[in-house]
Amino acid sequence: MLSDGLWLPVSMALYFGAAVAAVVCIVRGNATMRPALWLLGLALVVHTIAIAERWIRVGHGPYVDLFEILSSNIWSLHLAALIGVILVPSVRQSLATALPVLQVLVWWIVVVPLSGAPAPVTYATVWLPVHAVLGKIFLGCMVLAVGVAVAVLLRRAGIARFAAMPADSGLGEIIYRLVLVAVIFESLMLVVGALWARDAWGRFWAWDPLETWAFATWLAAVGYLHLRALRPPPPTLDAVLVLAVFVIAFATFFGVPFISTAPHKGAV
Amino acid sequence: MTAVLYRIVKPVASLRLTVVLLAITAAVALAGETAGVAVGPVIAMPLGGMVLNLLAAIATNGKLRRQAGLLGFHLCLAALALLAALDRLTALEGHVEVSEGAAFDPALAQVQAGPWHWGRLADVRFVQGPFEISYAPGVKRRETFSTIRVPDADGQWHRVVVGDDKPLVAGSYRLYTSFNKGFAPILSFVDHSGRSHRGAVHLPSYPLNDFRQGNDWVLPGTDRTVKLWLSIGEPIVMPDASWRFHKPKGAVLVLIEGDKRRELAPGDSVTLGDGVLRYEELGSWMGYTISYNPFGPWMLAACLAGILFFAWHVFGKLWRRPVSAAASMGMQSHAV
Repeated sequence: MLSDGLWLPVSMALYFGAAVAAVVCIVRGNATMRPALWLLGLALVVHTIAIAERWIRVGHGPYVDLFEILSSNIWSLHLAALIGVILVPSVRQSLATALPVLQVLVWWIVVVPLSGAPAPVTYATVWLPVHAVLGKIFLGCMVLAVGVAVAVLLRRAGIARFAAMPADSGLGEIIYRLVLVAVIFESLMLVVGALWARDAWGRFWAWDPLETWAFATWLAAVGYLHLRALRPPPPTLDAVLVLAVFVIAFATFFGVPFISTAPHKGAV
Repeated sequence: MTAVLYRIVKPVASLRLTVVLLAITAAVALAGETAGVAVGPVIAMPLGGMVLNLLAAIATNGKLRRQAGLLGFHLCLAALALLAALDRLTALEGHVEVSEGAAFDPALAQVQAGPWHWGRLADVRFVQGPFEISYAPGVKRRETFSTIRVPDADGQWHRVVVGDDKPLVAGSYRLYTSFNKGFAPILSFVDHSGRSHRGAVHLPSYPLNDFRQGNDWVLPGTDRTVKLWLSIGEPIVMPDASWRFHKPKGAVLVLIEGDKRRELAPGDSVTLGDGVLRYEELGSWMGYTISYNPFGPWMLAACLAGILFFAWHVFGKLWRRPVSAAASMGMQSHAV
């Protein structure tokens, strides 16, 4: 990562700074979270420059190898967190839980080597960016839900640092709504992925590892919605269920594509 | 619905059952994938259970039926399940190798077709021409440009270029080039009665089987088998550089029969028993995948309609009760 110019390492350092600032704000009782918000905004600006510079240099977008996919997801998920807390200021304190979760990706990219692999031929399609953007919106919604869910869990564990946030019932409703929107975008992602698969491999769906995991993610999210429709679970269980859905989604996005040799990986 | 029927169907419509079936389906899918078992067949049963649960819910759940967006979404899911079943019954998947200069022969295709498959693969006609394949460093396959000749309705032949992402679409069949391609020595054999046979022997896929470029061939009209091996000579694959798939110029065909070994250059002949075998030239073959999914577009339409209904339901719900109102379901009172 460090050999890919200066902008990217600087942006990663700023993301780290934003996560630290968010936690410090919570510890000091600063409900505005302004230092974290400013650092996050600055990190996104610098990271945007890094992505654009690399895009121009290598001739394709950030979607070919693990390094590029991590980079684009770090960007999009942090952007989702920022937009989320701007649109719903009452959950601004969840930055202190969402940003540390995203540090998993930030530290991961630091150790990922640059492969310099060319984009597979099947990536030359309009469906790829649409598929990728829909997936990022889905995961962005899930990250926001997880940020709120972790805040609920910490509060339930006796950590009184999220006093400015709504009560657990209100947070539960916000989590539920985020998962509702996430399911829309995951469904669209699957449909667009099927269209791309038909162009790329001649079939809409073939139960390859990534397709299977993406379907399981959809089932998990839909299962959560049905469970809530059945009987809203207590806040702790509600938060744990959302975390479970997120873990499956995380494995789908960041685990399966890099351990499977299926065509979906873009293997040629 | 009669009271008796309602009593029978109602338990099947249980939302608790929905949750259980969703969990079972996800678990079966992931277990099948992890175990390396084909997920499609093993998931059919829990999916079937979900469809029954869904239909029962649509029939008996008044709350579901009163919400147009949610009802539309679930009806689309039911339609999707029906279409998916029809698709599996009518689909065809397969692959075929076609020699350069030869016509596509459906009889040589290896296919798996559903019991209700109604397409006519025999109607697909094209003649394989030359093809170009480029490789990036690291033996990464790039674009394939396979030139074929295809007849139109008037019997006029047209040149068409197909590839990995640009199929030949013929009668709802889609044929894509695959990673599979290789060399094919073209041989002619004149048997003891003076009858001439000509054919191409497909060697294993190249460069996947770079060091195994051999195959057995039964001499036409006899039960004698000879072993053929292509000694490529010049290096074709360049692992650390860009290169193009091409036929090696100095390649020699090694013919082995019993303990006899002969090397043949293009144009060379050799007597084998009562017949004469002639190595004409080195050709090539191209591999294609074949697919046929007549219900695919309808399934996509059902998916899109379902998502639109669901989005209508969700955004209507969000619009009626903004997030600020939802969040104020009680400001924090949990300070410990």
